[in-house]
Amino acid sequence: MKHQHRIPPKSAERFLNWFCKDELLEEILGDLHEYYDELSGQPRWKISLLYWFHVLNFIRPFAIRNFTSTNTNHYTMYRNYLKISWRNLSKEKMYASIKIGGTALSIAACLLIALFIQDELSFDKHVPNGNRIYRLIWVFNNNGDIEKDVFFQAPFANAILEEFPEIEQVGRYNAGELFGAGSKEIRRAGEKQNILEKGFVYSDQSLIDLLQIPMVYGERSQALAEPNSIVLSESKAQKYFPNENPIGKTLILDNDVETPFTIGGVIKDFPTTSHLQYDFLMTMTNREFWPGEQTFWRASNYPTYLKLHQDADPVALSEKMKKITNKYLLPAQIEAGAIDAEENAKNTSYELQAINDIHLYSQDIFDELKHGDIRIVWLFGIIAGFILLIACINFINLSTAKSANRAKEVGLRKVVGSYRISLVQQFMTESVLYSSIAFVLGVFLAVLLLPYFNIIVDKTLVFPWTAWWFASVTILGSIAIGLVSGIYPSIYLSAFQPIEVLKGRLTRGSKSSYLRSTLVVFQFATSIVLIIGTIIIFKQMNFILNTKIGFEKDQVILLKGTNTLGDKIATFKDALLQLSEVKSVSVSDYLPISDTKRNGNAFWREGKAQEDKPIYGQIWRVDHAYIETMGMRIVAGRDFQSDIASDSQAVIINQKMVEEFGFENPLDKRVTNSGAVWNVIGVVENFHFESLKEDIRPLCMVIGNSPSIVAVKINTNNMREFIGTINGIWDDFLPNQPMRYTFLDEDYASMYADVTRTGNIFSSFAILAIVVACMGLLALSAFMIEQRNKEISIHKVLGASIRNILVLLTKDFLSLVLLAFVFAIPIAWYVMDQWLQDFSYKIAMEWWVFALAGCVAFLIANLTIGYQAIRAALMNPVHSLRSE
Amino acid sequence: MEKEYIGEFEELVLLLIVMLEEEAYGLAIRNALKEQADRTVTIGAVHGTVNRLEKKGFIQSRLGGATELRGGRRKRLFTITAYGKKVLQKSHDVKVNLWNQIPELALNQI
Repeated sequence: MKHQHRIPPKSAERFLNWFCKDELLEEILGDLHEYYDELSGQPRWKISLLYWFHVLNFIRPFAIRNFTSTNTNHYTMYRNYLKISWRNLSKEKMYASIKIGGTALSIAACLLIALFIQDELSFDKHVPNGNRIYRLIWVFNNNGDIEKDVFFQAPFANAILEEFPEIEQVGRYNAGELFGAGSKEIRRAGEKQNILEKGFVYSDQSLIDLLQIPMVYGERSQALAEPNSIVLSESKAQKYFPNENPIGKTLILDNDVETPFTIGGVIKDFPTTSHLQYDFLMTMTNREFWPGEQTFWRASNYPTYLKLHQDADPVALSEKMKKITNKYLLPAQIEAGAIDAEENAKNTSYELQAINDIHLYSQDIFDELKHGDIRIVWLFGIIAGFILLIACINFINLSTAKSANRAKEVGLRKVVGSYRISLVQQFMTESVLYSSIAFVLGVFLAVLLLPYFNIIVDKTLVFPWTAWWFASVTILGSIAIGLVSGIYPSIYLSAFQPIEVLKGRLTRGSKSSYLRSTLVVFQFATSIVLIIGTIIIFKQMNFILNTKIGFEKDQVILLKGTNTLGDKIATFKDALLQLSEVKSVSVSDYLPISDTKRNGNAFWREGKAQEDKPIYGQIWRVDHAYIETMGMRIVAGRDFQSDIASDSQAVIINQKMVEEFGFENPLDKRVTNSGAVWNVIGVVENFHFESLKEDIRPLCMVIGNSPSIVAVKINTNNMREFIGTINGIWDDFLPNQPMRYTFLDEDYASMYADVTRTGNIFSSFAILAIVVACMGLLALSAFMIEQRNKEISIHKVLGASIRNILVLLTKDFLSLVLLAFVFAIPIAWYVMDQWLQDFSYKIAMEWWVFALAGCVAFLIANLTIGYQAIRAALMNPVHSLRSE
Repeated sequence: MEKEYIGEFEELVLLLIVMLEEEAYGLAIRNALKEQADRTVTIGAVHGTVNRLEKKGFIQSRLGGATELRGGRRKRLFTITAYGKKVLQKSHDVKVNLWNQIPELALNQI
């Protein structure tokens, strides 16, 4: 008989050990062992199986141990721990509330940030087969500058579908306002009142197939198949066709009664975590924006998506797509006579961007969509980590600082026979209790703050109460934080020697002063960095709003949707000019704020189109009153004049274009965009027409018709009354379309909403960090002063002035804050320098910003400690000295 | 004294304990059951039964007889109590009495 056969399975024994009554264990195990021995000779697996069978057969009422009764001892002890914790908590109300309050605040912040991050990371995860769906990226190497965008030529999608078998499906959309996407006046056929809606886009039928957008009504495969069909989102369908199936019904867009759109389907609204957000998808079936547009290889307007077959390699495919350049793009360029065609083709390459990466990894890709930023996600994550760390630090700090008060308790417990592990357990229980209370408060706080947080991060987050992970994360989180921040204090406190503490010889909490100082420095350094960040962001914002931008943005009203006026626009303009408050009126869709019309053109000097490299810039179609209304300045030459007929061939260019052309004397020079030729009659001072994050680019203005926006320069103190007046005029002209207006200065400010948002985020975190750091400092200083009561009293008895005592008490802490300041400066400088790199036009970082932040931190720390210090300094020394 | 009933299996185990004398412990009883009555039961079932018998006061037990075969663990050895003997005797008497009353002919007819 082999020896190894005689050892029964350990796991079975352990299992029996666990469930069986202790008093029966010996005889049962003995019998089983003997039985096992009897079995030897049979196959090993059979023996084990039989053994297990018999073990399991002991699960009978007589043998199972009483699980509840055996643990009563632990239970009582934990109840005792909780009771003591609670008593301590109610005895030291200030410490407890600072401990819990600080932690709760941090937890609330972390929860909100976690929600934010979770939301950012979940973008486009809802798309079925998302791992096979990619967006095409156009990469152009412009003398070492890598430029990326997503706009492709109309025939590109089909070309790659034909060429590469690994592509299963392609789909395009076109959101260009030039083509009529964006916003439109809309009404049901048969109704009169127009309503302006945003979110129009042209889309291929194949795009909704490719993205497998869920349908509410209609067949997905047929929704956009017919010409002039349109797909609505569920919420818009509900708005225009409440409680009915709108399939087959018609909509009139922009008063175009001739070509109504038929509804081919209703999709579910795009989830908020989709990078595409459109409400009206107009079909691309049979649509051409000009004759031959769909086969034209020299205009890029279509973001293109593709779905690969399983196992296809996206990187290899993007390499192979060079073939398309040579097969279609290069010939088209050469045919058009572009001199740099070969070079352009060489510098063009392609990338495939996974759909799940679009939201967070598109900083360097021009796609005209709203994006998140992976750096922000990291930044938020790190801030959350820091906040949590600061809270834990406070927690540890306060627990060890109060150790002196617990020393006697620890000593006595040890004397009556407590193990060290039970003491550790006790302090752990206590800290878990604190953190649990903090968590409940924190969740409550987070719920209260969520609406405000949603505003500053521009999201619509909701609390995922029903998600299983939320409850588990909350509960596990509270336990984990309790344990982590409880480890050090409980080890520290449980290490006291009973004989020492009972004799009263304890180095009262000063042993870990080195650690505590580090923690204070850390907290304040964080706060100072955040304060500096806040000041710089707001300074930059202020700079943006007040810098000389080259046009007058105050007192200008923009009336939108005026294209429906048609021929009556001139009469409307005259009617406005009758008003005494109106200084001038201009009609143009091109305005120096975002979300108005833009274009891209190549310019040459007249006759040099085949020889020179082009200068790229904008052509803005304006009217005669434009420059006056916008308050722009002519620096050379003259403005357009309506009595000079030749001005229809004239152009006004900006200083940047003069510079790029290298004109010494720009007047009467002639420029061309390979079509028309214009005579330069004036130079307008550079003005910012894109965000200040970008440089001013070349631009020229010509007289032209672009009738969607009417800008009215006014001079009035009673804006409300004036709006009423022009509303009256509007209603005379367009009774079926409500007047929509905005103010130029507000539109301008809203271009920088993200900067304001960043500023708000920073200031919120700065306030939070300061509050938490101060809570820690407050408790620490109170503790220190309590410890040094006798010292202070003796100082006073020996004749120290109140000032001396204040200095004595505050100088330690304030030197820590000073140290924190020293650490904070380089960090803040580096971080904010990085941030400012985003702007072409930016403020300089001045020393006083740092000094101010330092002073603020210093002052706040001083106030925090000061109150306690003054109270201590004013105290009658008799009170603390007479006890001995 | 309140009447204690004894089940069929219990009676079998009780008889075996008497038979096994000094060596009446769980596994031995199980093996004896197999040999004498051709009944295979789990060790757990035997332990359950003797536990019940002891609770009813039919048997008493002590620990002893550790062997290497058992991993050095002691056995729980059972002996019958006076009360147990009485119950066993009574059960036997009832049956014998009944057997005696049945005419041989009647049994053979079945």
